[in-house]
Parts: sequence; C-alpha cells; structure tokens
Amino acid sequence: MESKFPGYRLLPYFLVFPSIAVILVFLVVPFVQAVIQSFYQTSPFGGVSTFVGIRQYRLLFSAPDYARSFLATWYFALLVILGGLALSLFLAVLVTRKVRGLAFYQVAFIWTYALSPAVAGIIWALLFDPAVGLGTYVIQRLTGFSMNFTIQGSSALLLVAGASIWNMLGYNVCFYIAGLQNVPRELEEAARVDGAGPWRTFWRITFPMLSPTTAFLVFVNTIYAFFQVFGLIDIMTKGGPGGATEILVYKLYRDAFIRVRYNYASAQSVVLFLIVAATALFQLWISTRRAVYLR
Amino acid sequence: MKKQTLYAAGLHTTLALILLGVAFPVYFAFVIATHTYEDAYAFPPKLLPGGQLWTNVSEAWTRTNMGRLMLNSSLVALAVSLGKIVLSILAAFAFTHFRFRGRVLLFPMCMVTQMLPLPVRIVPAYQLMASFRWLNTYYALIIPYLASTTGILLFRQFFLTVPDELPDAARVDGAGPLRYLWSVLVPLSKTNIAALFVIEFVYMWNEYLWPLLVTTNPTLRVAQIGLKMLLTTERTVAEWNVIMAGTILVMLPPLVVLILMRRQFAQGIAMQSTK
Amino acid sequence: MRRIFAVLVLVVGAVSFAWAKTTVEFWHAMSGSRLRALEKIVADFNASHPDVEVRPVFTGTYEETLTKFIAAYRAGTAPHIVQVYEVGTQTMIDSGAILPVYQIPEILGETWDWGQYVRPILLYYSVDGNLWSLPFNSSTSMLYYNKDHFRQAGLDPNRPPTTWDEVEEYGRKLIEAGVVKNVISFGWPDWQFEQQLAIHNYLYADNENGRSGLATRVMWPDEFSVKVFETWTRLAQEGILIYAGVEYDPNAAFTSGAISMLLQSTSSLDGIMKTAKFEVGTSFLPRFPGEPRGNSVVGGGSLWVRKGLSQTELRAVWEFFKYLGQPDVDIYWHKNTGYFPATNAALKQLMDERWFAQSPNHLTAFLQILSGRQDSAAALGVRLGPFVEIRDYIRTAMEKAFSGALSPAAALAEAAEKANAALLEYRLALGK
Repeated sequence: MESKFPGYRLLPYFLVFPSIAVILVFLVVPFVQAVIQSFYQTSPFGGVSTFVGIRQYRLLFSAPDYARSFLATWYFALLVILGGLALSLFLAVLVTRKVRGLAFYQVAFIWTYALSPAVAGIIWALLFDPAVGLGTYVIQRLTGFSMNFTIQGSSALLLVAGASIWNMLGYNVCFYIAGLQNVPRELEEAARVDGAGPWRTFWRITFPMLSPTTAFLVFVNTIYAFFQVFGLIDIMTKGGPGGATEILVYKLYRDAFIRVRYNYASAQSVVLFLIVAATALFQLWISTRRAVYLR
Repeated sequence: MKKQTLYAAGLHTTLALILLGVAFPVYFAFVIATHTYEDAYAFPPKLLPGGQLWTNVSEAWTRTNMGRLMLNSSLVALAVSLGKIVLSILAAFAFTHFRFRGRVLLFPMCMVTQMLPLPVRIVPAYQLMASFRWLNTYYALIIPYLASTTGILLFRQFFLTVPDELPDAARVDGAGPLRYLWSVLVPLSKTNIAALFVIEFVYMWNEYLWPLLVTTNPTLRVAQIGLKMLLTTERTVAEWNVIMAGTILVMLPPLVVLILMRRQFAQGIAMQSTK
Repeated sequence: MRRIFAVLVLVVGAVSFAWAKTTVEFWHAMSGSRLRALEKIVADFNASHPDVEVRPVFTGTYEETLTKFIAAYRAGTAPHIVQVYEVGTQTMIDSGAILPVYQIPEILGETWDWGQYVRPILLYYSVDGNLWSLPFNSSTSMLYYNKDHFRQAGLDPNRPPTTWDEVEEYGRKLIEAGVVKNVISFGWPDWQFEQQLAIHNYLYADNENGRSGLATRVMWPDEFSVKVFETWTRLAQEGILIYAGVEYDPNAAFTSGAISMLLQSTSSLDGIMKTAKFEVGTSFLPRFPGEPRGNSVVGGGSLWVRKGLSQTELRAVWEFFKYLGQPDVDIYWHKNTGYFPATNAALKQLMDERWFAQSPNHLTAFLQILSGRQDSAAALGVRLGPFVEIRDYIRTAMEKAFSGALSPAAALAEAAEKANAALLEYRLALGK
C-alpha cells in the first residue's frame, strides 16, 4: 500500500513508539532477564551471583513437588477446558436452536464475565464451606459424603475447577453463540436433506466448522486455567491442602516471593513460557489450517 | 404446530432454569450478606434475605477502608483503559495509513504480547518496579499495562474498512494526518472505543496478582485485594455475612459497566471471533 | 538594606534548620490493633524529638515486607529500619545488607547496656554473643484451654494437662462426656514441632541449631522427633487432635467452643480473651515425661538496620531504639498487643503495678520462657536460611502422617530429605 499521507516519514514511528516502548520495557526485557536469571544462583540480597548452567532446571525436573504441581495443573486445566467448553457448547447450541431471544440470552450469560476469579473463588468458598455451605449441605443429603475442601485434596481440586468453569461460562457461551451463528445454514440443511440425523450433522458439519472458535477458546481457557485463576486459588485454598491445588503459577509465586528463591522461580517462568508458546503456536496452526479449508 | 410450541416452551424453560442455576451462587452470596453473623452460620443455610445488608456493608466498608480501595481500582481501571485506547489508536493508525519499515513489527508485537503473560516475567518485572521506585505507587499499577495488541488489532481491522476517499479528501483539504485522525477517524470509531473500554475496564478491575505484589500499603491497594483482606482477620471465625457484603461491593462496578455497555461488548466479541 | 538582608538570611536559616529533620523510614508488618499501638508510639517519639521524623510504613505481611525489602535493597531504595519475622533471621544475617545493632553505640561513641533486655530474646537474635537486631515484638507458644469445658467434663479447671499423656487422658474424657468432638488443635503447626524439640532440649539442625555455622542438615528423623510425630498421629487418629489449618486459623475453632484446647502464640491472647465467651485458662506447653528440659522458642519479629546510613541517620535511628527501650513505651506496647516486654525494667514495673496479678494469663508464656534453660543451642531455637520452605515440608509431613498416607517416620524422612536439599541450595547461593 501507499502511504495515505506521503511526506510524513517520521510520524508513524512516533505513533507506534509508546506501544513498542511499553512492550519492550515491561514485557520483553523482563522476560529476557528471567531467562538469564534461570541460569544463575544468586543470593537473596543480590550479593553473590554464580553461573550454574542448567542446574535450576535439573533441580526443577527432579523435584517431586514440581511434578505434583505439574500434574495438578494439567489435571485442573483439562477439567476446566473440556468441562467448560463442553458445557458452554451445549448451552450455546440450545440458545441457537431458537431464533427469537438470542440476543437476550447472550446478555443473560455474559454477565459472569464481569466477575473476577477472586470473586468467583470467594463465592464458591462460601457455597462449599465445610461448616455452612449450601453446596456442602446438598451433597451431604444426596450422597452422605461430608465434603471438606480444606482437608481433602481431591475435593479442593474439583471445587476450584468447578468455580473456574462457572467463572468462564459466560465468555465461552457467548463466543460459541457467535461462532454458531457463523456456520452457514446451507451446509446443515444440505446434510439433513441427505438424511443425516441431528447428532451426525452436529459432529460432522457443525463442530468442525466451529474449530477456529474452539481453538481460540481452548487457548483463552488455557491461559485462564494456567494464569488468571491465581486470584481464585489464593482466595480459596492457597495451594492447599498439602499442595493439592498448588498449580504451576501458584508454586511460582510462592517460590519467588515467599521462599525467596528467585532463580529457581525464573526457571519455572521459562517452562511456563514454553507451554504458552506451544499453545499459541498450536492455536495459530489450527486456525490457519481451518481458514485454508474454508476457502 | 403444537409440537413446535411445546418444543419452544421446553427450550425456553430449560434455558431459564439454567440461567437461574448460573445466577444462584451470586444470589446465595447476596442472601448471606443480608443476615446477622449467627444467621449466616445457620445450618441448613437460609435461602431468603434478612435485614442486615446495610449493617454488613458498612462493616465491610470500614474494616477494609473499601472506599479507598474502590477509588484506587476505579482510577487504575480508567487510566489503563483510556491509556490503552489512545496507544492502540495511534499505533493502529500508523500501521494502516503509512508505509514505513516498522510495519513488519505488528505481527511480532502481537505474538510477543500473547506469549508473555505476567508470570513468565514476574520476578524481573517486580525488581524493575523496585529499581524505578514505583513500588506502592500508581505508576506500577498503570504503566506496564498500557500497550494492548488486542486494541491495535481491533482498530486496525476497523480502519481498514474505512474507504480511501476519506483520507484522500482530508489530504486534498490540506489537513495533516493527526488532524484527520482526531476529527474523522476517532468519531467514526466510537463503537470500537466503547468495546475496548468495557473489555479493558473489566479486565483491569479484576486484576489480582500484579496489584498483590506491587502495592502493599493499604492506601494503594485495589478492591480485589480488599477481598483477601476481608478473609484474613487474625482473630475470629470467617464472618461470611460481612465478607459477602464486601464481595457484592467489589463485584458491582464491572458488572454495571458490562451491563450498561453490553451491546458494545458483544460487538467486541463479534469482531474478535471473526479474526 | 543590609540589615533586612541579614534578617532574611537568619529567618531562612532558622526555617531550614527547623526543616532539616532527619527522616527515618521504618517498614513494618503490624496490622489491626498492633498498627494503632505502633503509630501512637511513633507519634509520641516524633513529638518529643523534633529533629527526627520516623515514618512508619505498613508494607503488608511479614513475607511481603521481607520480599519488598530485598527488592528495594537490590534497587538501592531500601528503608532505614525494617521489621523482619524470626524466621527470616538467618537470611538477614547472611544478607550483607545489615548493620548489626550491637555496633551502633560504638560507632556513635556511646555506651549501652545490652543486659537490660530480657535474656532469652536477646540470645535469640545474637550471633556469637553480639546482638544483631533489636528485640521488638516477641512472643512464644503456650497452651490455651477452655475452663468451662473442663468443668462440664468433670475435670479440675485449675489443673490443665502437663504431659501429652494427660492431654490424651483429658481428651478422652472430654469426648466421652460429649463436650466436644475434637479436643485440641495447633496454631502454626510447624512451629509447634519446633517448640516440642526445643522444650525438651533436642537440636533441630546441626552446627548447634545453625548458630555456630550454617546448618547443613536437620537432625530429624531421630528417636525423639519420631516419638513426637507418632504421638500426634495417634491423637489425630483418635480424633483428639484436629488439624485445623495453619497460622491463626485454628483460633476460631477454640473461641467458638468447637475444641477445648489450643497451642498458640501468646500474641493471640488479647484476641482470644475478647472473643471467647467462656473462661480462658493458659498453661505451659504439654511435655513428654522422662525427657530433658530445654525452653520454648521465641517467635515474632525484630528490627533490623540497613547498612550504609549516614552518621546523622544512624543517630536518629539510635534515638528511636533507645526510646523503644524505655519502660513506659515497652509496657504500652505489651499491654496493647500481648507481645512480651523486651526489657527487664518494664517487667519489674509491670510486676510492681500488679499487672500480672490482675491478668495471670499474660504471665504464663513469659514465665515459661524465663523458667527454661537459656544456655543450650537447642533451647535457644534453630536458625535456618530456607526456614519458610522447611516449615512447609514439616506441615506437609504432618498432613500426610495424620491422614495415614505415610507412617510418621516416613513422612518425617521425606521432609528431611527435602529440607536438607533446601539447606544445600541456600549455602550454594551464598557461595559457601
């Protein structure tokens, strides 16, 4: 393209400068520093700094606590992503079956997006409080099981996952509604004309057409489950009981700011980065593949 | 015919029930916020509101100095939203209206921002705040958030739909690019600005980890941390009635903003999902 | 003309002299009523010392305060005084960022009698007999119990359990009488483990509990520590002991009458007595019969001075420290927070006022610590670099032992392995 305002050669640089500056100073530089720090062992007050190569990483991957944190995170993320997306997709399909009132439902679901993970966490902590929670009461009446997430690790993990799914529900539903609206009716009708039942139509036609939305939501929910859920965990369980809900980001926070092991924490940062980068690239790959297929 | 209306009725009922189910936790929180301490601890729990809402709210308010906390959150959320809008518009304008070597930076910028969420750089970022002397200041809460590649992409997408006649006409009239931006493009972008505003305001109001780290002085803490402060009283049992009253307070502003600007938010979603 | 000029100069000079206050920045972690007490003390000091202004800044929890201090020090923006919890003592000693308090009078050309401070506290914060940080808010752990519950179960409310056997016996009676479902809980469970080792004069770590050199390994699991764990596990499985969370979480169970006994810091005394609707009794920590005697460990925090202060700043800091040591100030702090008075003079004054007679519960923890040994490293308490981490490991070990996931000995062994690794890391980081 040609510049719409020829003669202003320097102006565009000034226009992008603030954004680039913020990104460089507050995002890129600290990240590079984190990578470098992960190869050193520094005394807490910065007095002594020794290069130790991949020692931090070796320690990390041989630490049972890290393995436990890793597993807990994946288990938790899987619950949130699969459970959350399945539920949201189901709800979105229900909403789009009806032509009237679609806009109403979109609004009716979106409000949960305004709730922060911390708020979601505190409300669910109340609901399932071992002493006074309504949820605890209901579960006890229905199954006789006394749920106590402050001492039962699996209850804690399930609860945190439940709160997260609830938190992200509105967002996921709205995106699926938008995505479903973009699926051309003709394809679905063509399939029905060919004699395919609704279930088959859904799986063979609709769902594949939704894959860019799904890929996008998988990415967003992964970021949520890995990072944004921090507030929820800090409020509900603080990583307990016994580390059952100490997911990677929470362990990172504790190692860095409470146990004051900066370099060890930086190594964890780098590992997290690799996970995020892989997920981002995967999402990119899926969307471009789909886009090509569509054309 | 009847089958269809039955089907429709069944669908609506199911959906209504689901909506109530989704809203129930918040309702329950509200109910607890309206009871006394003893009633809040009733087991089985009460399901109807009591009359203590105002007492509990004032208790939560004074105990955590909630007014100050909400003020801080508002200030930060507003400053960042507006800042992001300005920076994104400027950058998007540059990327769409000029041909300059920096144009190749757009894609890497977006990838970088997506792949570097806070925890990936948290320790050095914190140390950076310490060396800038920004710990316990508004600067630490605002400035690191000011760049938004979501915003840049949003406005870029929009600017690309503006027909060439407009900038051409402006140029013929002798207006400079900035003049054009301010008098023509910005007014046209109102919906996009609103969409970005509501997304960013809600996002900033709900930020937890960064404010937790960089502000520990009570006069600078944000509303989310107020929740944590309500939970950790050193002496007594968790006073759920007061805690829930505080939670309702903290939860209201983004909710109100979202509901008031829901159409713009929906549009923001629509634009993001057709990337 | 000249005269006006001279007068102007004098006025400006006087004003700027008056404004030439030395500011002392003081970061602390005191919240709630402790914050109010602290602010009053500081305000009084500032009023009586017009050339100094101490600025207290509440920087969050103990952990947050320490993190901030470390980051600020690395960035060159650290305060003059910082309050650090006892767990951070070794980190501060190794930091290279600190001016040990005992050197201050020498530098300023003054003399100071260190003997005026209560001995166990003094020893806790000393290295090779020299005091490194100023005792400020010290506490220890003791036994709280519900006298009303005791009466209900037919137990003598003035004879609380002395040994763990008695805890078990009384516990069974309380449960059988239907008074409570669970009997006792621990505040700061990891700290209670340290207390048990210390009150029986057993070392926690080598190199004399980390006091004669950096600790290289923990002494557990040894016979005694396994005995402690096995006893507690048995109590937990009988339902007598209930693990109710960390730090101050179990206080709620005690004050609400859900349990009858609590091992907790003396700094909770005020809060508990105000909230409890029953008669609160206190006593020494329960012991194991037939084991040696040591002392309970000092907890809380102390004040540290940053290196690199100017002479004027140092003088200002020192004036503040001297002020804190005055009996009236010390007593005010004790009465409004529950922390020990740090000076012997304050102690005497409190006794003269019959304070402890009016409020015997305030004396218990103090008496416990004054009546114990003060001459062995085990009784003084352990100093570890990666203390926070090691406490985490002990807590996990307790949770695993109580839930039956691991045997007590195995749980301790697992924790010890991790603890020793952490100690190694710490030494490596310091290049030692």
